[in-house]
Amino acid sequence: MMTDRVIFVCTLIIAAVYFYATTLIPSLEIGDPLGPKAFPRLLGGCLLIAAGLLFLEMWKDRKNPAQTTGNAGAGAWRHAGVIVGVSVWTGAYYMVFDKLGYIVASAVYLLALMAWFHRGKWVANVLTSVLFAGLSYWMFVKLDVNLPKGILPF
Amino acid sequence: METLTHIMNGFAVCLQPINLWYTFLGCFLGTIIGVLPGIGPSAGIALLIPVTYGMNPTSALIMMSGIFYGARYGGSTTAILINTPGEASSVMTTIDGYQMALKGRAGAALAISALASFIAGTLGVVGLTLFAIPLASMALKFGPAEYFTLMFFAMTAVSSLAGKSPAKAMISTILGLMIATIGIDLQSGQPRYTMGVPELQDGVGFIIAVVGLFAIAEVFTTMEDMTRGVRTEIIRLKGRLWLTRDEWNRSLMPMFRGGIIGFVIGVLPGAGGTIASIMSYVWEKRMSKHPEEFGKGAIEGVAGPEAANNADTAGAMVPLLTLGIPGGGATAVMLGAFIMYGIQPGPLLFQNRPDLVWGLIDSMYIGNIMLLILNLPLIGIFVRLLYIPGGILMPLILAISTIGIYAINGNPVELYFGLVFGVIGYVFRKIDIPLAPMVLSLVLGGIMEQSFRQAMTISGANPKIFVGSPICITLVALSVLSILLPFLLPRLKAWRDGSRDTA
Repeated sequence: MMTDRVIFVCTLIIAAVYFYATTLIPSLEIGDPLGPKAFPRLLGGCLLIAAGLLFLEMWKDRKNPAQTTGNAGAGAWRHAGVIVGVSVWTGAYYMVFDKLGYIVASAVYLLALMAWFHRGKWVANVLTSVLFAGLSYWMFVKLDVNLPKGILPF
Repeated sequence: METLTHIMNGFAVCLQPINLWYTFLGCFLGTIIGVLPGIGPSAGIALLIPVTYGMNPTSALIMMSGIFYGARYGGSTTAILINTPGEASSVMTTIDGYQMALKGRAGAALAISALASFIAGTLGVVGLTLFAIPLASMALKFGPAEYFTLMFFAMTAVSSLAGKSPAKAMISTILGLMIATIGIDLQSGQPRYTMGVPELQDGVGFIIAVVGLFAIAEVFTTMEDMTRGVRTEIIRLKGRLWLTRDEWNRSLMPMFRGGIIGFVIGVLPGAGGTIASIMSYVWEKRMSKHPEEFGKGAIEGVAGPEAANNADTAGAMVPLLTLGIPGGGATAVMLGAFIMYGIQPGPLLFQNRPDLVWGLIDSMYIGNIMLLILNLPLIGIFVRLLYIPGGILMPLILAISTIGIYAINGNPVELYFGLVFGVIGYVFRKIDIPLAPMVLSLVLGGIMEQSFRQAMTISGANPKIFVGSPICITLVALSVLSILLPFLLPRLKAWRDGSRDTA
């Protein structure tokens, strides 16, 4: 129930921000009776209607809160901290992706993730991360997909 | 007669060695994607699009559709051996398939699942062959208003059927449409919601969104499960990979019934393979002389749902190819792929590119035969994939997703967009907001707005155009029904139960 309340409030905030951002679109309505703002306004209105429907669902289920909590029960968020860590680590990987190059950045990125999620198997982790980074680079370059070379000469 | 000529020409296209190779590759990759957790057909197809830029569109689309239906074959393997559906549509197979495996009949469960997939998959393609031309001819009468109402219906149907809460599905749909409005407006040339970020001027790439929402988010969810210590035990495959005569006799009719249910459900937008397999399971249980065996390893409970979820893929291709309207996540990604190759699916496709459309349809006959071979004698090889530790597989999927996003434009900023979508997808899963409606509206959003504005320009800004023809009226009525049905059905049921109690 609490999750649904948060979704309801977030939906209203998104609708308000979207409506405000729509007013900032420069208007040029030559040959187009509606202009670039009309469809977004319609969507903003629809989002408000959807929020209203969610409110109705919450009202209907108010006596049965267990049904509406979904996966977001108290225990479900406990391990989400790991995902925050993985997201930050992935963000850092993307930050150095161009500078270090695909092979080096990917090998380090993969090795760290495997060290956490596949603990203690150092040989397998090092081999997989280095071989995957090298082989996938070679394969995608062969397929005309340009991946950054970075600090490596090839 | 004309259809027969097209079918023959289609076979001439799909039997070319290069297309046979791509059919095989698509089926092979699809089976792997189906078996592996952490990546589904939507993300699999999206990841392949950048790699296929230089390819002939026919070959590329043949390969992508191979992934789409191949994943359904592979999805049953995990359902039977580890009680976890590899694909959402295999969820019903876990019930009796896993029970059969526990009783030492894993080989028979895998065999019937492959046979049911083959028979129903082929039945579905026959249906697609028969219905494609009549529907495409009807769609030629569609103008912008009809297209807008059709897309509106597709979205409302998906919203009403996806997830547990129709309101949350509707929020997902509208958020997708809102994201689709980001970028330069095609008619006025004005930038919208770009926040000064140059990378947003062309809008948010749907491949980035799909890879983030489906692949990265799925990896995050699996990683969280691994941290929680959720472990799956794989049942060893032993014994003969074949059926007894009694098992075959009991499976035959469920396969045909499942095939018909799956095809019909597949044609309808929104319903998809999961609903098709649930309906088939319920139907088989009701028809069975031994309903008490269901849930304890009844082979009909594997044959019917597996047939249904495979026939559904051919059914889903009907609206995609004839109307240009996808009915779910994977077909939405395929529509995006068509558009990227400069091809607009729809009725004109049958006139302008019969080689492509019939080559694609006929490749599905060949692909189903290939999948039967891959999933019967070679199933043992695919089962080995289940032994790859999640701690190795999940990081590799993240790296592949990174390549998939980077390969589009070679722009590192887009990697961050992918990550943002991954986080959104992960959060949405946790709070039960379905993702398929968002992807559908992301792909259709631009076309939908153009149809809306074209219709309004034709009518001089009079919205009556959207109820100005019988097709529009029917589609609007169906849309309203789709929105109201999830709210009305429980009330109707409560009222019926109440009146039964008082009687």
